[in-house]
Amino acid sequence: MIPILSVRDLTVSLKRASGTVPVLERLSFELDRGRTIALVGESGCGKSMTALAIMGLLPDGFALEKGSILLDGEDVTKVPPARLRALRGNAMSMIFQEPMTALNPVFTVGDQICEALRLHQGLGRQAAMERALAMLKAVQIPAAEQRLHAYPHALSGGMRQRVMIAMALACRPKLLIADEPTTALDVTVQAQVFDLLKELQEEMGTAIVLITHDLGAVADITDTVAVLYAGRCVEHGPTLEVMEAPRHPYTRGLMACSPHLRLGAAAAGVPEPLQEIPGLVPPLGQRPPSCAFAPRCARATDKCSAQDQPPLAAISPDHEVSCWHPEERAVA
Amino acid sequence: MTAVENARPRPILQVNDLTVHFPAAGGKVVHAVDGVSFVVHEGRSLGIVGESGSGKSTTAQGVMRLVPATSGQVVLRDEDFLAMRGGRLREARRRIQMVFQDPFASLDPRRQAGELVAEPLRLLEGLSRRAAADRVAELLPTVGLPPEAAFLYPHQFSGGQRQRLCIARALATAPELIVCDEAVSALDVAIQAQILNLLRRLQQERGIAYIFISHDLGVVQHLCDEIAVMYLGQIIEQGPTASFFSAPRHPYSWSLISAAVPAGPLRERLKARYLVKGEPPSPIDPPAGCRFAGRCAFAVDRCRTETPLPRPVAPRHFVACHRAGEIEAPDFSSGEMARSA
Amino acid sequence: MSASLPTTQTGAPQGVASPAGTALRLFLSNPIGLGGLIILVVLVFAALAGPQLYGVDSLDIVGMPFQPPGDDPILGTDYLGRDILAGLLQGGRASLAVGFTSALITVVIGVAFGSLAGFFGGAADTLLMKITEFFQTLPTLLFAMVLVTLFGQHLVVTTIAIGIVSWPPTARLARAEFLRLRGLEFVKAARASGAAPAYLIWRVILPNAAPPIVVSATLAVGTAILFEGALSFLGLGDPNVMSWGLMLGQNRAYALDAWWTVMFPGAAIFLAVLGTSLVGDAFNDAINPRLRKR
Repeated sequence: MIPILSVRDLTVSLKRASGTVPVLERLSFELDRGRTIALVGESGCGKSMTALAIMGLLPDGFALEKGSILLDGEDVTKVPPARLRALRGNAMSMIFQEPMTALNPVFTVGDQICEALRLHQGLGRQAAMERALAMLKAVQIPAAEQRLHAYPHALSGGMRQRVMIAMALACRPKLLIADEPTTALDVTVQAQVFDLLKELQEEMGTAIVLITHDLGAVADITDTVAVLYAGRCVEHGPTLEVMEAPRHPYTRGLMACSPHLRLGAAAAGVPEPLQEIPGLVPPLGQRPPSCAFAPRCARATDKCSAQDQPPLAAISPDHEVSCWHPEERAVA
Repeated sequence: MTAVENARPRPILQVNDLTVHFPAAGGKVVHAVDGVSFVVHEGRSLGIVGESGSGKSTTAQGVMRLVPATSGQVVLRDEDFLAMRGGRLREARRRIQMVFQDPFASLDPRRQAGELVAEPLRLLEGLSRRAAADRVAELLPTVGLPPEAAFLYPHQFSGGQRQRLCIARALATAPELIVCDEAVSALDVAIQAQILNLLRRLQQERGIAYIFISHDLGVVQHLCDEIAVMYLGQIIEQGPTASFFSAPRHPYSWSLISAAVPAGPLRERLKARYLVKGEPPSPIDPPAGCRFAGRCAFAVDRCRTETPLPRPVAPRHFVACHRAGEIEAPDFSSGEMARSA
Repeated sequence: MSASLPTTQTGAPQGVASPAGTALRLFLSNPIGLGGLIILVVLVFAALAGPQLYGVDSLDIVGMPFQPPGDDPILGTDYLGRDILAGLLQGGRASLAVGFTSALITVVIGVAFGSLAGFFGGAADTLLMKITEFFQTLPTLLFAMVLVTLFGQHLVVTTIAIGIVSWPPTARLARAEFLRLRGLEFVKAARASGAAPAYLIWRVILPNAAPPIVVSATLAVGTAILFEGALSFLGLGDPNVMSWGLMLGQNRAYALDAWWTVMFPGAAIFLAVLGTSLVGDAFNDAINPRLRKR
C-alpha cells in the first residue's frame, strides 16, 4: 500500500535581495490512510510552512527548492495549477487556527460548505445542500437545519471551528491539514473538537497532519510525531515512544516546559521548578549548517557547533533522531 | 519579619461582591461578573480559571478600574480603590499593575520600548525623562533584557521578549500586586516556561502578589497558591491549590480537569464521565438557580431554581454546589490502579 | 541571563527602525511619490521666489490685452494686458496658501470633533456626530458661497470658508480610527498605568491614528486649491489678490479666443492637485503595511 502522503527531502527557501535563505531543510515523512502525524515545534520552526508547501500555497517570495510531495502517488509540486486547484478542497484540505477569520462573513454556513461540493464533486444545489446538512450533523452541530442558513457571526468560536471541519471534510479528502485547530478555543471545547476529528477520521479514513506547539495536548490522537526545529526535523517516531523516551534534547525540553497537572494525592506537594529552554529560535538567515539548537542546548559540545548537524539516524525501527549527543533512553 | 507573619500573610486586596454588568441589545443585560469575592495575600498568587464568557478577564479589568464596576468593593490594603480620585488614585495605581494577554497588542507600536516601560514612572511618579530612563536601564536586566533594548521598537522583539517588556513596565513602580490577564496564553510552550519562571523569581525576590487569570489549569497549579474557578460570572469553587487539585468538588471543576489531564487511560476515563458537552451559555440574562445546571450531569430540580451559595468543604476551600456532599468525587488514581482497587 | 535581541546585538541603537522612519524610507523609494513631491517643491519654490526673480507685478498692465505667448511677455497677456507668467507666479502664493491653510483648518476641526467623539463615545459621540452630519449634508460649494457672500470676498474668508465646509469627512475618519484604537490593549495598558484622557488622546491614540489622517490632509490640500479655483471662477474670489482661480474666473469669457489666458492657470491648478494626490497616495502606500513589499 502506498502512503497517502509522502514528503521527501522537502526544501523551501526564502528569496531575499541578499540571497536565498533556507526555511525548511530536507524534511521527509510519510503518512498512511487513517493515520495522524503531529508536527511539533515553536513558532518559526517551519510547521505552518510545511502545511502551506503541501497545499501549494507558499506565500510570495518562498520557493520550493527541491524535494517531492506525493499525495496518493501524485507529486503535487509538479502538477499544473489547474490540477492543484482541483486537488485543494477536494483531495486535500486545511483547517486554520482562527475560525473567526477563515469563514466568509457574507455567506451562510450552508452556502460555504456547498461551494466546495458543487465545485469539486459537481453536485447540484439540492444534493449539495443535503450533503452540507449531513456534514453539519456529522460535526455534531445542534439544530443543524437552522444553522445551515446561519451566518458565521451568529456562531460561537467552537461552532465555527466545527463548521470549518465540516467544510474541510465535505469532499471526503484523503488528507486533512489542521494548523493548531483548537488554540483559539476553550479547553473543554478543544477536547470535544479533537474527539470529533478522531471519530470522523475513523469513519472516512482521512489522513491528518496536525500542527501544534504542545505535543502533550494532542498525544492521544496522533500516531507519529515529527519534531521540527529551525526548519529541520530533529526527531521523528511513534508518538508514544517519543513521549515516553524523547531522545533529542529539544524534544525533551519541550516536554518538560509545560506544567503537568498533578491530581489527587500528587497535588499536595510543592511544584517543582519548571524547566525552560533558554533563548529563542534563531531567525531566518541566522541558522548555521551545524546544529541550530546547540546554543540553547545543555548537552552541546564543541563538536555540535564545529560539524554539520548529523542526518536523522534510526535509534529503533521507526524512531529517528538528529543529534550528536542524544539523551539516554533510561533517563525517561 | 517574624515567622508568624510569614505564616499568615496579610491581605493586600479584598474584592467584595464585585458585579460588572453591561447593557446589551434589546434592553438586556450582560452579567459579565456577578457577585465575585476573593482575597489576595501579600506575596501570594491567586489563580482565576474559567472559559471564555466566564468573566475572568472582566473581573481583572473591574479590579483595575478599566471597566466600571456596577456594584461591589475593591479594597486595596484598607482603602476603597474604586472610590479613589486624583492623587490618591495615582498613588494606589503605583501599587497595582497589570500585564495583558497579547504582547503584540499591548505595546504601542509607535513608541520605543524604553518610553513604554517608563510610562508608568512618568505618569504615576512624575519622574523626569532622564530619571525614568535610568530606572528603565535598571529594570530591563531584571526581566532578562539588555538595557539597549530600550531603544528598539516593539515590532523588533519576539513575543516572549515583548511579554518581558510588559512585565518590566508593570514592575516599574515597584507594585505590591500585578494582575496578569492570560499573560502567557499567547506564547509558545518553551517561551511560556521562561515567563512563568521569571514571574515566580520576581515573586520570590520582591514579594509581589499576583492575580493570575488563565484558562490553563496546569499553569495555574504551577504558579498559584490559591485558585478560583469561574463560570458565567460567578466563582463556583475556590480554595488552596493543593486542596483543590487533590479533591475538587464542583462538577464543572471536574470537567475542566478532565480536559486538561495528560493523555492516557486516566484522561479517557475522566473525559468519558465528566467532560461537559457543548459550550457555556450566553452571559446575557443567565438562568435562575445554579448557572451550570443546564450542562451538569448531576443536576436535580433544586439546582434549576435555587442559587447555591459557597460553603466550606475543607479549610479555606469553598464550593457553590447543592450536591457537593452527595455525589461521588472523581478518582484520580491512574487507570491500572483504579482497576485493581 | 539576557535574551539576545533580534536586531542589534551591541549597545549602539543604530539601525533603529521607527515606524515613522520606515514609512519615510518607503515613501522616498517610491518614484510616484517622489515625482509628486518634486512637482510640489517646484511649485512652492516658484511661488515663493518667482515673483522676485521675474520682477513683474501681476496686477500691472504691461502691454496690449490678449497678446499671445511669444517673446515678451513669454506667456502672453490677459484681457487687461497683465503678464500671465507674473500672474502664475504671484497667484501661486495665494492658491497654495489657501490650499495648505484650509487643509490645516480641516484637519484641526476634523480631528478635534472626531477624536473627542471616538474617544468618549456615548452622548458626546452622538452630539458631535450630529453636528458633523449637519455640516456634511450642506452642499459644500453653495455653503462656501454663502459664507463668502456674507463675510466678504477676501482671501482669508475664502480660506476659512473652504476649511469649514471640508472638515466632516476628516472628522468621520478620525472618529473611526479612535473607536478602533481605544479598544486595543496598549491603550488599556496605558490606562492601567494611570494615563488621563488628554494623555491617552494626544500621546497614545493620536500618533497611531495619524497615518490615514495625514493622507487625507495631503489630499485635502489639492481639493482646497480646486475649491478656491471654483469659487474664483464663479466670481467669488478676492479681486485684490492674484490667484490661479482669479485668473481663470476673470478670463473665462475669452477662453475660446485667447486660450492661453485660462490654459496656463488651469495647468498650474492641475499640477498642484496632481502633486498632492501623488504624494497622498504614496504616503498611503508607505504607511499601509499590507501593501508593503520587501
